[in-house]
Amino acid sequence: MSAVSAAYTPANLRRTILRMAYSGSTVHIACAFSLVEIMAVLYRQHLKLGSGPGDPERDYLVLSKGHGVMAQYACLHELGWLSEEHIRDYCTDGTPLKGLSDADVPGLEVNSGSLGHGLAVGAGLALGALRKGTGQKVYAVLGDGECNEGSIWETILFAAHFRLTNLLVIVDANGFQAMGPTAEIMDMGSLEQKFVSFGFEACTVDGHDEAELDEAISRLVKSSFPGPRAIIARTVKGKGISFMEGSNLWHYSRLNEKTYQDALAELEKAQEGAPR
Amino acid sequence: MRNAFSKALVAAAEADERILLLTGDHGYALFDDFRHRVPGQYINAGIAEQNMVGVAAGLAKAGFRPVVYALSAFIPIRVLEQIKLDICCEELPVLFIGDGAGVVYSTLGVSHQSTEDIAALRAVPQVRILSPGDAHEMKATMELAFATPAPVYLRMGKSDLGPVHSAQPKLEWGKLVSVRSGAGPVVFIATGSMLNLAVKLAGDWPGSAVWSAPSLKPLQAESVTAACQGHRLVVTLEEHNRIGGLGGAVAEILSQEQPMPVCRIGVPDQYSELCGSYSYLMKEHGLDLDSVRAQVMAFTKKHSIA
Repeated sequence: MSAVSAAYTPANLRRTILRMAYSGSTVHIACAFSLVEIMAVLYRQHLKLGSGPGDPERDYLVLSKGHGVMAQYACLHELGWLSEEHIRDYCTDGTPLKGLSDADVPGLEVNSGSLGHGLAVGAGLALGALRKGTGQKVYAVLGDGECNEGSIWETILFAAHFRLTNLLVIVDANGFQAMGPTAEIMDMGSLEQKFVSFGFEACTVDGHDEAELDEAISRLVKSSFPGPRAIIARTVKGKGISFMEGSNLWHYSRLNEKTYQDALAELEKAQEGAPR
Repeated sequence: MRNAFSKALVAAAEADERILLLTGDHGYALFDDFRHRVPGQYINAGIAEQNMVGVAAGLAKAGFRPVVYALSAFIPIRVLEQIKLDICCEELPVLFIGDGAGVVYSTLGVSHQSTEDIAALRAVPQVRILSPGDAHEMKATMELAFATPAPVYLRMGKSDLGPVHSAQPKLEWGKLVSVRSGAGPVVFIATGSMLNLAVKLAGDWPGSAVWSAPSLKPLQAESVTAACQGHRLVVTLEEHNRIGGLGGAVAEILSQEQPMPVCRIGVPDQYSELCGSYSYLMKEHGLDLDSVRAQVMAFTKKHSIA
């Protein structure tokens, strides 16, 4: 593999997330783990970041699902926009990186955590880019639980009506929300069908298969479809750590010394088995 | 006043193509001129205010100067969180126009009335609040808003009460504007639609001074204390809940800087109960001339001033 394609290795990103979560004693670990491959593929293969986080012509990655922010911090760390100290001191007194996404952090575009905000801001960014003819793309990453919010559907209507062809929505559909499975709490049915019926070009992929994600993103970005696009990425909450996968406990649980070491060991083992 | 608003908006948009008007499917007839003169800068975002404010945030981040128009009953109250998180947290240059503030939509009921908007926004950091009292102040506040790349809420209330100033006053953020000078015991400070009534009322208290408060936030402590200096009693007037609006802001400043009695004239902490004309509802809330006069008389009597 080339040096470029070796960047943003999911195991490395998950290791960084674990280190942050352990040092900051934070929650939402499983929310970050489900979107690691989505973030990895976007940062590695798709985002045009120009000269840095303030480049006015950068592509925008809008993390509307702010609960997964550690996955984005891990990518920003690989990118060099966040330092080792940021990771080491995460979520401790007087440090800038909070437990939910915050637009003050270079590289983060919106304040999230209160759900259903980021997509609308992303639509505004997309409309702005279209009006200016800059060619910028907006990648908005949502949670499936977040799609309970009415404001999401307001923006979906808007994006279709105003033909925001430069907007690609990726739903991290891990099947869980705060209190349990989405199917039991607020069943969203087929998100793909919903997006299509609202005027999007949409498809569903395995959100942990990087090749499949890359292919879908490339295809939708290049598509001549005259409207916005969406990918429903089927994911596993807590992906990568056996005792976190599919367990909503890790929406709230904090790591202790044992669970931290066990999780790190699992990542080591997985990486040893992976092709290099 | 609405004509002054439309003219100021069109002039600003013609001079600056970054200005985009977003409306939540409101403003019938009001934007005819805008749509005719700068059609490319007009966006009807539909009946979806949360999205509209988020989109405005994105447009502002992309370098535009969005003007977001809706009834003040919907903006800011319905979208307070979007204003806080998407706009104010990032100090984005978005101008919100809240039309029909107070009980202007008197016959339509509480859903279209807005007497809590100032209080709600005063506690949101970074947003500035303007409340013009006549057409001259409308033009001046619009110019001030466009000259300030920051979140601004412009509260547009009852608009056909006639002029108070004879010419456009010079406005500065946080400063009261003198309408009538005097050295008597009572000073009136009014905002928006109540400015007109304050001027009429002041005639009953010879020597009283009248100030307008078109800039509700910021409101400079020095300007308020200077206006009240030499007077014994302060009367504030606003078509808004007595809690948290102009009266609250003035009382906060005076209690700390220059303690003196403040009579806060405004809508009591209640909703409009019945249907009726604007003047009927103003009377219901004790905001017609006779009711206000009675409240001020009771206040001055209590403090031993005839």
